[in-house]
Amino acid sequence: MAKTIMIIDDSASLRQVVAITLHEAGYEVQEAIDGRDAIAKLQGQKVHLMICDVNMPNMDGITFLKTVRTLPNYKFTPIIMLTTEAGEEKKKEGQAAGARAWVVKPFKPDQLLVAVSKLVLP
Amino acid sequence: MDLDKAKQTFIIEAQELLGAMEEALLTVEGQADQAEAVNAMFRAVHTIKGSAGLFGLDGIVHFSHTVESVMDRVRSHQLSLSSALVSLVLECHDHLSQMIADLQGGDPEPPASREVGQGLVNRLLPFLEGKGVEAGSAAPVVSRQTSKVPESEQGSWHISARFGADVLRNGMDPLSFIRFLGTLGTIIHMAPFVDGLPGGEAFDPETCYYGFELDLETDADRQTIEDVFEFVREDSRIRIIPPHSKVEEYIQLIRDLPEEERLLGETLVAGGSITAKDLEECLQRQKQESYEGGSVQGRLLGTILIEDQAVPPPVVAAALDKQKKFQERQAHELKVVKVQADKLDKLVDLVGELVIAGATAKVLAGQTRDDRMMESTAIINNLVEAIRDTALGLRMVQIGETFNRFRRIVRDVSKELGKSIDLEIHGAETELDKSIVEKLSDPLMHIVRNSIDHGIEPLEIRKARGKPDAGTLSLNASHESGSILIEVSDDGGGLNRSKILAKAMERGLISAGSAPSDQEVCNLIFEPGFSTADSVSNLSGRGVGMDVVRRNIDELRGNIEIETEEGLGTNIRIRLPLTLAIIDGFRVGVNHASYVVPLDMVIECLDLGPFLESEENHLINLRGEVLPFLRLREVFRINEEPPQRERVVVVQYGETRAGLVVDKLLGEFQAVIKPLGGLFRQIRGIGGSTILGSGEVALILDVPQLVQLATEQKHAPLKRLPALPVIG
Repeated sequence: MAKTIMIIDDSASLRQVVAITLHEAGYEVQEAIDGRDAIAKLQGQKVHLMICDVNMPNMDGITFLKTVRTLPNYKFTPIIMLTTEAGEEKKKEGQAAGARAWVVKPFKPDQLLVAVSKLVLP
Repeated sequence: MDLDKAKQTFIIEAQELLGAMEEALLTVEGQADQAEAVNAMFRAVHTIKGSAGLFGLDGIVHFSHTVESVMDRVRSHQLSLSSALVSLVLECHDHLSQMIADLQGGDPEPPASREVGQGLVNRLLPFLEGKGVEAGSAAPVVSRQTSKVPESEQGSWHISARFGADVLRNGMDPLSFIRFLGTLGTIIHMAPFVDGLPGGEAFDPETCYYGFELDLETDADRQTIEDVFEFVREDSRIRIIPPHSKVEEYIQLIRDLPEEERLLGETLVAGGSITAKDLEECLQRQKQESYEGGSVQGRLLGTILIEDQAVPPPVVAAALDKQKKFQERQAHELKVVKVQADKLDKLVDLVGELVIAGATAKVLAGQTRDDRMMESTAIINNLVEAIRDTALGLRMVQIGETFNRFRRIVRDVSKELGKSIDLEIHGAETELDKSIVEKLSDPLMHIVRNSIDHGIEPLEIRKARGKPDAGTLSLNASHESGSILIEVSDDGGGLNRSKILAKAMERGLISAGSAPSDQEVCNLIFEPGFSTADSVSNLSGRGVGMDVVRRNIDELRGNIEIETEEGLGTNIRIRLPLTLAIIDGFRVGVNHASYVVPLDMVIECLDLGPFLESEENHLINLRGEVLPFLRLREVFRINEEPPQRERVVVVQYGETRAGLVVDKLLGEFQAVIKPLGGLFRQIRGIGGSTILGSGEVALILDVPQLVQLATEQKHAPLKRLPALPVIG
């Protein structure tokens, strides 16, 4: 069964590109527009990996990371953070919250796909 | 790979380590905290043991293993470092140094050394009691020792991973990395590592205790494999050991790097042996270790790379070798100071003036008859002479560089002509004035091309003549009585006498029916526009050449002669003066004027009377050897009566000797050569002029021309030289 990946980003175009790329590679893709949306959508289904932007309205990436780790089903789910190169402060904050996988924006679809493959193969 | 070079690196490294060990041993007693010193000793023997193993130096491995075992017990506080033990370890240190020295001397294990070693090992054994000799190296949970790393399979990468405790909590599944590795190639072997797994209550299901050893067959490069673990690197210990075949490749890559100043780590990164991230980590660790240990520096970077990153020691050795080579080259370059040529010329000019002024001072001091004055001017003159030699030496360059340029030319030209030619160079270290070398390049080029084109025969003819397929062209340089002799010889067809004669007659250079000597025939090829080539080739044969060559050599006050044997080869000899600026001269007097003979060419001086053989034929008998002589009085047409007692200066040029008959011998003299004005250029027998200490002008004799003249007049009536204007 195909693995499900959730992309959490407030940019619709980015979500689209990521969705197409991952879909072509054989993953199921779920989309969420921010942390709060994601938390709501995670209930009642199995997501194998999350790709999460850091800067988002309503609930930012770091808060989302902390929150999601409190959910029993998602305690060990890999999460790839999308960060900008300048966001060193955020990065430290993310590391403290347990984020280890990073992909720096802007990225090419292939780069993201490789990062995802390391953690979850389709 | 070049094992010898790596071995040199090992020797140097070992010597450094032993130095550090000795220092630690000498300071360890009385220190409150001995940990650092003990660590230094341990690391020294440990590293030496590890590298020695690579070179198959079993004696060193065996011996250092025992020492290491003892040091390890000290390090883990199972053994206290008594003063007796320190002395013993010092002895062991000395023995190790000796072993390294023996290795450097080329005799790795003399029997005597083995006995000493065994004696020391026997004395070390009591310190290992209760532990067993072989159990000397403790096995830590996560091994840092190179020896513990399993040999990687030929052709496959070995990956050793120990995941951090929080890996699972951070959302990483070790299995995913193994799966991803599977996409890069084939996992041919894998063993889990669960030694860290605690039992019972200590076990935390959320903590990762997992690790693995894995062999991967892949075409991916190190960076790609390393990137697999990108997300867990910070928390985990990942070591990637390249396949054996890669080691060679890395070493080659390092060797091929351009020569520039790089640090060890940079070299390895540039050669692809480690990634920038590896380096960063190792440097970080080194910093941390030095911080923890309180020492100035932690383990050497190379050591860390080998022990912790599992970089194969030969790769590190190659990188160190590269670094060292660059440093050596740079050190060599520092010994050379580049100076603008005109500055040197100016210096030589000034030294010339200094020599003249010195000579003047000497003459004046002599007139005062004041001993102290004369003595001090003598000292000054000695110094001036030394300065002169040094200043002239500055302009001297080895001819090798000029010669070496011909390698390429010979190669290219012989290829173009389809001839196979070996170039031999002798006397490349012979030194020559730079300005001469510069002007020599063109004529030499011409001669070499002639040799290749006309001299060395096509393959078929060589075969028919029973010569080796490949022709030989040799360039030789050597010193010969005050001049430099440069020879260009080939084993080709030689000059064709009849062809040259026919051509010369056709051009009216000689009259039909005359029978010129071989030397005269050879000299014909120096006539302007002379060529015997049947066809004009790209290279030579246009008839522009040998006359220009001779003119160039003449301008350098040199001469050129040809020796040739038809069918066997040609030898062209060029003789050149050592320098163009200042010479040691010998001053002679004829009538009221002074002349200077270059001292290098003077063989001896004698009275004419007792040695006179034949006044009519101008011959003297020098202890059985009959030499032609020449009266300068006659050459320069000085018509006054000669003195009662005439002197002979015997001179030699090349292989020919002759006597120059003069009135007075006036002694040695440093002559600063001043060129003659255009009016006097045509006069043969005079090479230049110089200024005497008294301010008078003296003419410098052109010995080669005079010797030639003397030899000629043996056979023919004396040719008169054009009259000289009266000087003075």
